[in-house]
Amino acid sequence: MKPKSYLIESLIGLGALLVVVSALGYYILNEPARILNAQRDVIAAQLDDAMTLYAENCSVCHGLNGEGIGATPPLDSAVLRTMPYDEIYKTISRGRYQTAMPAWAIEDGGPLSDYQINELVTLILYGDWTETGNRTINLGFAPLIPFTTEPDPVLLAEIANLPDGSTLQTAVQLFAAHCVACHGADGLGTAIAPALNDPAVRQKTAEDISRIITYGNTGTLMAGWNNVLATDEINALTSLIERWDEIPLGTIPAPNVPIPVTEESLALGGQLFAANCARCHGPEGQGTPRAPSLNVKSFLTQTSDQAIQQIITLGVPGTAMPSWGDRMSDAEIQAIVGFIRQWEPTAPEVAVLTRPGGGGPPWLRNDTTNVNPLPSTNRPVQPTEQITSLLDWRILILIGAVLSLAFALIAAGTFSLR
Amino acid sequence: MDEKNSLPEPSIFERMRNRLTPEGIPSDDRGRMRMVMDSLILHIHPAKVEVSSMKWTYTWGLGGLAALLMIILGLTGIVLLNNYTPAVPQAYLDILEINSNVWFGELIRNLHHWSANLLIVVSVLHLIRVFVTGAYRPPRELNWLIGVAMLLLVLGANFTGYLLPWDQLAYWAITVGTSILSYVPLIGQWLTRLVLGGPEVGANTLLNFYSMHISFIPLIIFGLMSYHFWRVRKDGGLTVPKSSKQTEDPKPERVTTIPHLVHREFIFALAWTAALLTFAMLVPAPLEGIANPAMSPNPAKAPWYFMGLQELLLHFHPLVGAIVIPSLVIIGIFTLPFFDLNPKSVGVYFRSRRGRSLTLLAVGIALIATPSWVLLDEYVLNWTLWLPTWNTLFSNGLIPLAVILLPLLLLDSWIQNSFKADTEERVLFIASFLFTAFIILTVIGIFFRGPGMSLYFPWNMPIVTH
Repeated sequence: MKPKSYLIESLIGLGALLVVVSALGYYILNEPARILNAQRDVIAAQLDDAMTLYAENCSVCHGLNGEGIGATPPLDSAVLRTMPYDEIYKTISRGRYQTAMPAWAIEDGGPLSDYQINELVTLILYGDWTETGNRTINLGFAPLIPFTTEPDPVLLAEIANLPDGSTLQTAVQLFAAHCVACHGADGLGTAIAPALNDPAVRQKTAEDISRIITYGNTGTLMAGWNNVLATDEINALTSLIERWDEIPLGTIPAPNVPIPVTEESLALGGQLFAANCARCHGPEGQGTPRAPSLNVKSFLTQTSDQAIQQIITLGVPGTAMPSWGDRMSDAEIQAIVGFIRQWEPTAPEVAVLTRPGGGGPPWLRNDTTNVNPLPSTNRPVQPTEQITSLLDWRILILIGAVLSLAFALIAAGTFSLR
Repeated sequence: MDEKNSLPEPSIFERMRNRLTPEGIPSDDRGRMRMVMDSLILHIHPAKVEVSSMKWTYTWGLGGLAALLMIILGLTGIVLLNNYTPAVPQAYLDILEINSNVWFGELIRNLHHWSANLLIVVSVLHLIRVFVTGAYRPPRELNWLIGVAMLLLVLGANFTGYLLPWDQLAYWAITVGTSILSYVPLIGQWLTRLVLGGPEVGANTLLNFYSMHISFIPLIIFGLMSYHFWRVRKDGGLTVPKSSKQTEDPKPERVTTIPHLVHREFIFALAWTAALLTFAMLVPAPLEGIANPAMSPNPAKAPWYFMGLQELLLHFHPLVGAIVIPSLVIIGIFTLPFFDLNPKSVGVYFRSRRGRSLTLLAVGIALIATPSWVLLDEYVLNWTLWLPTWNTLFSNGLIPLAVILLPLLLLDSWIQNSFKADTEERVLFIASFLFTAFIILTVIGIFFRGPGMSLYFPWNMPIVTH
């Protein structure tokens, strides 16, 4: 018997050995660089999570871009980046006494896990605050940014006529500068702090109220204000809270703060407008017989972002404008507001005509007008790309391949069985 | 002075060698051969093997590859053990650490991950090879049973390992996978609590799965694997491939195992090691964000090898889809060698030319029937609506089951009447049909199910973000 030759097998073996050796060699040389890259990826992934956490939990007090608001310190500081890791970690997880900073760790009654706090420390040490601000806007947490406002001058002057009016005037101004941020216009409350212009609050004693203002309210976001406000200022605010029923509504109005936008939010707003609003308001917002024009100077200059947001959220009773609040998130509604607002610089002074004017006889007209077609697509709230036709080439290839394979097999099988 | 005493004392190394090989290393081939025969290799292989059973295209080296993967998994697993803590959230941090701060950490994790996934594919292919060549027939039935048991254990090992990275992928795949357990009649709730160590996937589950993954399952697999190898020899070695016309060769050609078989085995192992290593260097194992029980992904899918099962659950009452059908299938696979007794066609792929044609037929029919049935059940059939007063176990379980079993019985009687198929051909036909159907269900589950487990084309899959 001729001894069998194993030339081919041996060559395969040699080749495999070469692959193993060279691949391992390359890998070893590349390993330090790979580890560095992997660490960068870990930080990037943590920062990505952390920005969302920041938007959801921290932006309320520390600001859109970590710039700090009022008494809340900024986080976007170079000094903070030199702070020891453990110190930052401790502050977030356990809170800081006599400040508005509560404990965030789960074991201290907060909502965040150790891992999430760790991510937030990474954000403070390495994060990009502009990007964080964009994330906050995209997630719809921008309206929670505290703000200050100017009291209405006419109503403020009227307050002087009340007994002890100058104290109330001071208090209104203080409230507009420091408190309106969380407690809302006219002290009617916001999502993050209770209404103070409220009979139940007026039931409390002056002592209780001034104590809370002075030392804060443990377990809530209410800070102790004794570092910022003088004793007589706190007393003025206390009397404002006790006598708020005497102050006319509108004295401390909501400010006209433009809703911030990003490229993503504008894109989302455009998409949502096309899917949900264009049907009645026209694809360019020029209006249709069903709904008024939005793309017109008079509307855009006279209506604040907050007002547009409120109209979209709550609808306009008695008109065809439905309330969208239960169908869209705040972020989506704000995206639409941002999209509408960007028309302002180019908006016409007279709204574009949407139907032949006047309804008079056609021969009265001295030109031919292009009537905007009324788009009547009935698309879902969240537009998703959906294939409506089975004539897509990929579907045809898939179905064709499966069917021809199946029939080839069946034919081959049956043919040889016959 | 005695001459003997003047000889130098043997060195400690010489004494060791003399102890190990008392007669010294023989100089001729035959002597060396005999010496190695006493060693490990010939505990596994016989001294001589039939040349024809070494044919690549007969076994495809699948059993050997599975064994190689087991070895790689064992070695990489032990290394990973040194860098891993089964605790929440430390487990996830450890994986990050392995990836980003341990030399070769990522490579070893990738090797472990991809070997584990390949092992499932290879084990299933090995089972198919043994089935289609009829290599499970007497006297090899017992080894078939052991093999099937090992396949289930491999699935168990992979499933328990799936949780260990403690990322979103792991957490939700295991949550979906273990939710099937609660449909086991009578003891479902109790069983779920036992496996999870609590009402939901949590730190105790991680510890349970970890201990299963690193001790219990590998130990049993190791024991069964040893027995599986021994059983192969005990049952007369590998089955010998035959073409369908050939009769038993009275005097088969044999060669010595060393070097002929061992040589090939080592080259095979080396080539696969090289391929795996390269793959593991190029393709990282998936790792998502840390497990977040409050945020479920949409869709939440089980590990890929259970997607066929999850697809069944979309069409049947859970008791039928998750318990009755899988149990019937597993019992069917276990008892296959007892249905199919014809010893003549052992070693012939698909039994005979007729068998091959019937298999093609079965695969072809399944390729059309399965997707059609999925589409029909998704968009047209609505038993619960049509039979509103019935218990859903009947309206959404047993009736649809009967409705799909009926065409299967018709197919069976069709091949009996039209092609005079005998028992072994019927077994082959139905098994091929069901197996193809299961593969298609798995593919649909993996690639065609999107948010809300609705059907989408893979290139048109919407991505749901939070």
